[in-house]
Amino acid sequence: MRKLYYPLITCIAILGSLLFTRSTHPQDLTNVNEIVKKANHSAYYQGKDGKAVVKMTIKDAQGRERTRELTILRKNMDDKDEEQRFYVYFHQPADVRDTVFMVHKYVGKDDDRWLYLPALDVVKRIAASDERTSFVGSHFFYEDVSGRGIDEDNHELIETTQNFYVLKNTPKNPQNVEFDSYKVYIHKGTFLPIKAEYEKNGKVYRVMEALEVKEIQGYPTVIKAKMTDTNIGGETLLEYSEVKYDIGLPDEVFTERFLRKPPREYLK
Amino acid sequence: MNPGMKLINLSVKYPKTTIGITSLITVLIILIVAISNLTNLLPFIPKIKIDTDPENMLRKDEPVRVFHNEMQKQFTIYEIVVLGVVNEKHPQGVFNAETLNKIYQLTEFAKTLQWENPQNPDSYDGVIPPEIIAPSTVDNVEQGGIGEVRFEWLMPTPPKTDEEALVIKKKAEKLPFLRNTLISEDGKAIAIYIPITAKNQSYRVSKSLEKKIEEIKGEEKFYITGLPVANDTFGVEMFKQMSISSPLAMIVIFLLMWFFFRKIILILSPLIVAVITTVWTMGLLVLSGNTVHIMSSMIPVFIMPISVLDSIHILSEFFERYSKNKPRNEIIMDVMNTLFYPMLYTSLTTLAGFASLALTPNPPVQVFGIFIAIGVAIAWILTMTFIPAYAMLLSEKKLENFGASVKKTSHEEEEKSILAKSLYALGRFTYNRYKLILLGTAILVITAIYGITLIEVNDNPTRWFKSTHKIRIADAVLNKHFGGTYMAYLALRSDESQFSFENYEKDFKKRLKNWFEKNGVEEQKSREIVEKTHNELLNIYNTHRPNELNSTLEALQNWCEEQLNNSDTQSQEVWELTERFVGLELQRDEIFKQPEMLQYIEQINSAMEKTGIVGKTNSLPTLVKTVHRELMGGDEKEYRIPDTSRAVAQCIITYEGSHRPQDIYHFVTPDYKSASIWVQLKSGDNKDMTKVVEAVDKFIKSNPPPFPLKYDWYGLTYINVVWQKKMVIGMLEAFLGSFLVVLAMMIILFRSGLWGLLSMIPLTITIGAIYGAIGLIGKYYDMPVAVLSSLTLGLAVDYAIHFLARGRVAYNETGSWEKAHTILFGETARALYRNIIVIALGFTPLLLAPLVPYITVGTFMASIMLFSGIGTLIILPALARLFEPLLFPKNRLCSITCMCNTCIVTGITIVAAVALNLYQFLNIGWTKLTWVSLTAILILSVVCFISSRRNQCKPCIEDNKQQNTNLK
Repeated sequence: MRKLYYPLITCIAILGSLLFTRSTHPQDLTNVNEIVKKANHSAYYQGKDGKAVVKMTIKDAQGRERTRELTILRKNMDDKDEEQRFYVYFHQPADVRDTVFMVHKYVGKDDDRWLYLPALDVVKRIAASDERTSFVGSHFFYEDVSGRGIDEDNHELIETTQNFYVLKNTPKNPQNVEFDSYKVYIHKGTFLPIKAEYEKNGKVYRVMEALEVKEIQGYPTVIKAKMTDTNIGGETLLEYSEVKYDIGLPDEVFTERFLRKPPREYLK
Repeated sequence: MNPGMKLINLSVKYPKTTIGITSLITVLIILIVAISNLTNLLPFIPKIKIDTDPENMLRKDEPVRVFHNEMQKQFTIYEIVVLGVVNEKHPQGVFNAETLNKIYQLTEFAKTLQWENPQNPDSYDGVIPPEIIAPSTVDNVEQGGIGEVRFEWLMPTPPKTDEEALVIKKKAEKLPFLRNTLISEDGKAIAIYIPITAKNQSYRVSKSLEKKIEEIKGEEKFYITGLPVANDTFGVEMFKQMSISSPLAMIVIFLLMWFFFRKIILILSPLIVAVITTVWTMGLLVLSGNTVHIMSSMIPVFIMPISVLDSIHILSEFFERYSKNKPRNEIIMDVMNTLFYPMLYTSLTTLAGFASLALTPNPPVQVFGIFIAIGVAIAWILTMTFIPAYAMLLSEKKLENFGASVKKTSHEEEEKSILAKSLYALGRFTYNRYKLILLGTAILVITAIYGITLIEVNDNPTRWFKSTHKIRIADAVLNKHFGGTYMAYLALRSDESQFSFENYEKDFKKRLKNWFEKNGVEEQKSREIVEKTHNELLNIYNTHRPNELNSTLEALQNWCEEQLNNSDTQSQEVWELTERFVGLELQRDEIFKQPEMLQYIEQINSAMEKTGIVGKTNSLPTLVKTVHRELMGGDEKEYRIPDTSRAVAQCIITYEGSHRPQDIYHFVTPDYKSASIWVQLKSGDNKDMTKVVEAVDKFIKSNPPPFPLKYDWYGLTYINVVWQKKMVIGMLEAFLGSFLVVLAMMIILFRSGLWGLLSMIPLTITIGAIYGAIGLIGKYYDMPVAVLSSLTLGLAVDYAIHFLARGRVAYNETGSWEKAHTILFGETARALYRNIIVIALGFTPLLLAPLVPYITVGTFMASIMLFSGIGTLIILPALARLFEPLLFPKNRLCSITCMCNTCIVTGITIVAAVALNLYQFLNIGWTKLTWVSLTAILILSVVCFISSRRNQCKPCIEDNKQQNTNLK
């Protein structure tokens, strides 16, 4: 199904929204599918490929912080905003350096995921019953990073404000997910989702926000995003730096061979 | 006339006013309590506060509680309600489609058990859904296809067939974290662990669960347990008991008194006194803002017998002296005159016994002691005022046929009754066979001492329920199937104060060398760079970053990068390795990622499991080993701790990609400097917890940890041990303290050290016999037993006071013990006997209570009465017979300050009592205290010596000398 990527996460800050709302928005869109498609594209599929260094700060309910530093490489495999590849390389902390998480994302079938653990010298395929498992211990789910398939939910445009399309998304298979529905605020000018609120039993318990947006090589890009979870408590902050698009990543970087031999030239 | 007698006189003069004032105060207290609790009209008056949490036996700022709360926060651990589901009927046990469906439903239902928090509308009370441990809320890690590892919910949806249910069983069995925790070894039981926001939520959570279970029940059995449930349930039942037992005791006491005195109108008065005393005391307790705790709920039960006691003496005496022909007020004043001092002293000793509890370190026990002491005081005042006033107001008609003088025949009949005859016989026996009695006493004392050495101190709030109570049954069943439902936690914390750079830099060098070797750096190069890096480390630490290891290593890392950038391609690789190594060194303080530390945790775990009390432990190694096994192909051989800290870290980060990454941080803090071991005990007995604690102490002492470590326990099961220890010692000290206070009072009352000691004998024998019996029959010394020792002190000495006081009078009248004892075994013995029976039987309704502490109280009352009765009516007269010449010198009793020896004995007793109380209260060391005490005794002795040679003393002493020479 679906999948998006880059700048990792859906969202945009108000700051960013002001920046981009200056570009005239002629007629508001009313077709919800068109909005979803565009949002999917700008959230996950901008450029042919790209890279970013991500600083991840995980803060638990008591405010204790852990940080991680990773580089994410991403390449689109078609122009339909469907198939994609990711290569996630860990720099920090030192004891997980060289760990690699690789994903071949498909639409219509399960993704392939690999994990390379240098200290055990094993490459493992990872299978999961669903995609709502934690992304390396953060408050973001795997699905928040790779993108939730646009066909997995029924979408409904519930409001059009001055700056945002507000969509309510209800899962087609509710037993696969822990939420009842989620609301996304999509910025009209950039189509970047700037806020997502997940609800269960009428209570919002999980909120994703884009805190900062920057135009990079002509692509509006979320460079700071936060996920808060009141259920388990705490939040995770993602800060992107050294973002580059269209760098010409070769296909073989995203193969098992490169798990043990990280492509250093693209990681620094 | 002393002030006390003046008060009695006033009540006799104005009986209506006395009763009016008493009633007014009572009604007022009831009204204030009722209005402030039922309405909001009196906001400044505290409402009833109820607290059934045994944790509050310790002060809130007690270090163990502070630590417990701190650790619970650090490891996000909550109190737990355990819901056990057992299916013994289905061949597949609980692993059949129907039972798993029910378990799924119950889990989903438990998630909804949330209520708005009245104090904070943003948060909620009740269950914490993401932390529930149930088949549908935990992850399964297992082998997928070739080279594939799967993460999935263990039971995302309930199975449709029994075959599917078996698949879930297979999966669960492979997960060490769940084995014996979530599922039982025999597959017949599943336990759902439901964390709650606070302990006091457990009752309503378990009640809601019970309702749901009622809807879906079938062939399975459902059990709810866990310490919080036990505590909460106890609280609820406690109040039920309070409203059943106390009135029932009242009724029995009433019936017994009716049997003895036959005049309902008269015996109503002690009952009224008992009720009013209870109302006043409990009213004061509530109005002063104190909490009704497990202990204080027993106050009425204790107050009632005490307040009835004195009234019975008055009634007995009144009964003997009543005559129509004599003015009522004269009879009453006569009665009160005779009884005033004995009653004053019996009340004071009881008061001292309970007031001594104020010195224990347990706040609820303090409140309990202080308020019973207040109750005793109230009872005394009421006995002095209300009873005489009441007796004044009775009409002649109502007292018809009452009293000994009017119905001489009945009096004579009584003298001939079986009771009287047997008491006289008993009296003769004590006189003739005193040697036999004293021999028997000696045997009793020796047996008691032996019994006391057998006493096992132990408590367990679950045991406060009878073994047939559903909580006890659930406890037994679940602990049979699982690793244990009693949770304790062992916190291990890195002790950085023990860091030594000298050792560190040596190890650093060794580790770097190994690192190079492992990564295939050729030897000469390795030696060169190890040397260089080591020198730089010393250089930075000693000159630039004194005593700061972390910033030293950071600087060293930067230095490595510089070297990397400035070196040729050949060396670059080695410098990069060095830089990585320093990066890992920076994480070396994350001791719980180090394999040797995890191995050590495993060793602690097996040391605990060897005790046979710990059924299961869960800790960081459990998770790491499971992930390692699955990453390495699922082979059981790979269920082990990996060899390097990097491998450990990478296993952990793999686990963090599951549905419940937060579970890791129940076992370790995010900085990996503290870890927590979950210990499941099969028994919540304090003695068992203590054994586990000792096993760990022993292990750690003989096996030093690989990193400097601090270790401490927390968790409710452990807290119970701490407060118990404090209470046992506290009670013992409080008891000794009040024993000395009572002894001092007795010496002053009888103006003789010997008489003082004598009066303590029934009490000492009672305590000895009861505690000896407890040791011999193997009953545990627990909270109720500990508290009851002070009741013994209060009650048992009373009989001795009455008996000895009258004994002395009788001796003075008759001149020999041979004659005196026959008088004593008349009226006095009968009054004591009635008293003993009323109180002992009055508390038998408590034996029917479903709560063990109430049964203990009931049994204790009867035993106290029995033994102090024996002590007073058999042993005391035998001793008096033996020591007749010593006890009854033909001397006139001088003022205590004139008798040098008695004065000194009194002084020593008082100093000892003060010292003991100071020791408890101020924590002064014993050596210091001993010196101060000795000095005080010396000064007092001098004072006694001087005062006994005063001029005022001369006549008395001269008289006695005269008499002595006359006798010779």
